[in-house]
Amino acid sequence: MIRFEQVGKRYPNGHVGLHELSFRVRRGEFLFVTGHSGAGKSTLLRLLLAMERPTSGKLLLAGQDLAQITNAQIPYLRRQIGVVFQNHQLLFDRSVFDNVALPLQILGLSKTEIGSRVGSALERVALSDKAELFPGDLSTGQQQRVGIARAIVHRPALLLADEPTGNLDPRLAAEIMGVFEDINKLGTSVLIASHDLALIARMRHRMLTLQRGRLIGDGEAV
Amino acid sequence: MSATRIPPPQPAQRVGAAPKKVDPKIPDEGPDFRTQFHAWVESHRASIVDSLRRLGRQPIGSFFTCLVMAVALSLPMGLSLLLNNVERLGGSWQRAAQISLFMQLDVKDAAGQALSKQIEGMPNVASAEWISREQALAEFQQQSGLGQALKELPDNPLPGVVLVTPQEVDKPTLEALRQRLSELPKVEQAQVDLLWVERLSAILKLGERFVFGLTLLLVMALLLVIGNTIRLHIENRRTEIEVIKLVGGTDSYVRRPFLYMGALYGFGAGLLAWLVLAYGLNWLNGAVVNLAGLYGSNFALDGVPVGDGFSLVIGAVLLGYIGAWLAVARHLRELAPR
Repeated sequence: MIRFEQVGKRYPNGHVGLHELSFRVRRGEFLFVTGHSGAGKSTLLRLLLAMERPTSGKLLLAGQDLAQITNAQIPYLRRQIGVVFQNHQLLFDRSVFDNVALPLQILGLSKTEIGSRVGSALERVALSDKAELFPGDLSTGQQQRVGIARAIVHRPALLLADEPTGNLDPRLAAEIMGVFEDINKLGTSVLIASHDLALIARMRHRMLTLQRGRLIGDGEAV
Repeated sequence: MSATRIPPPQPAQRVGAAPKKVDPKIPDEGPDFRTQFHAWVESHRASIVDSLRRLGRQPIGSFFTCLVMAVALSLPMGLSLLLNNVERLGGSWQRAAQISLFMQLDVKDAAGQALSKQIEGMPNVASAEWISREQALAEFQQQSGLGQALKELPDNPLPGVVLVTPQEVDKPTLEALRQRLSELPKVEQAQVDLLWVERLSAILKLGERFVFGLTLLLVMALLLVIGNTIRLHIENRRTEIEVIKLVGGTDSYVRRPFLYMGALYGFGAGLLAWLVLAYGLNWLNGAVVNLAGLYGSNFALDGVPVGDGFSLVIGAVLLGYIGAWLAVARHLRELAPR
């Protein structure tokens, strides 16, 4: 599903975000990307979201080369990716329902279809009774689950999460990880950037370790 | 988050051109044309409503933005309308460039009228009017205030005159026509005040150029005003734009509400400018009518023609739209991957 072939990212100021990174991710796989701050985790996610372009190498997402993709094609690529942010990135002037419905409105689905899918996504993250509330009325953990519902509502093939448990206590973090595992069982590939090694170790999934933009480890977390 | 409440697994869509699995309960195919069309209409409706709501949330700020735009719009439009009125005040070009043929004193009315008809048939002549010696004297007595003195003259000293209105008013044509008319029999003198025509023409051309230059400057100012206003709206909705882009919103989806907002600002500004001009010209007209009355004229300023008013509003909407488009395009460029 994802193929990094000698992918490098060098910024105009000379800073190197990634050094000739090479690895593959199979369809339906669950993996973590870990490393210290500045290791290149976020750069890797930004490349996969086509927020940045690689400066060298080949980055393939289901056969599409993200270095070659045009700006006009990017929205259609992103419609097949779900993304969860550490700070949720929710719209606080919209209800939980409207936040989750946003990707479906962009897809141009009917109101009935949107209602059905949003209901299903909220049920999956156990927030069915919060649909009419606003994000400001929810706890941090609930806000993160709204973010997850928004990321999965359009049934993406790939779910990316950038430090999704960064602001949560261990109990909530484990709960959120449980949600990701449920989603992964439905066939969605899940790639999570996190530096919470204890949590990663408990999950027993594949883990890529980055250090200063280089891949220094690839194997099951222990 | 009970596992028993989770609905049956829905196969994830694949990225790229890979085939999709179809869930029998929830259609996983892309929406059909009708659904997409309804969604498109709904998206536009939602954008308009949202833009109106956001403008209504800051009524004073929105009003002042419209007012600034309206003032900028009404300046060139007002000057243009005033120029039109000045042109009308000076009479039509044809009237301003009339050629006066002073006939010899022995020309009788019948001959004068015949000559006038003959001249009307000539090329480059719009019309010709015969003014007899008696009419000329009567008008002169009335206008000069020398009525009593003129009555004491033994004979009428004024000749009959043929007033020729040309079709074209450019200098060479007028001069050629004057020359031809002066060669007609019994014509004592053919006179045309070309200098006055040239001066008026030059003044009006200068005025038109000034209005054109001012319009260009103010259009740029308007684009800056609307662009800056929309930029502030963009700043307030930066997170929303980023999220929309990350969940697959196209540039046109992001742009849409801002374009409506720009167009709505333009619409408000156009209406305000029309109102300002209509009120301003009406206010000025009182003084103009009074002044014209002192010169024995019934001249009055024309208001804003309905067609011009609509053009003003449509132009303002377009400017608002373009200003917003430029502002959003700049922001979208910043979000494009590098």
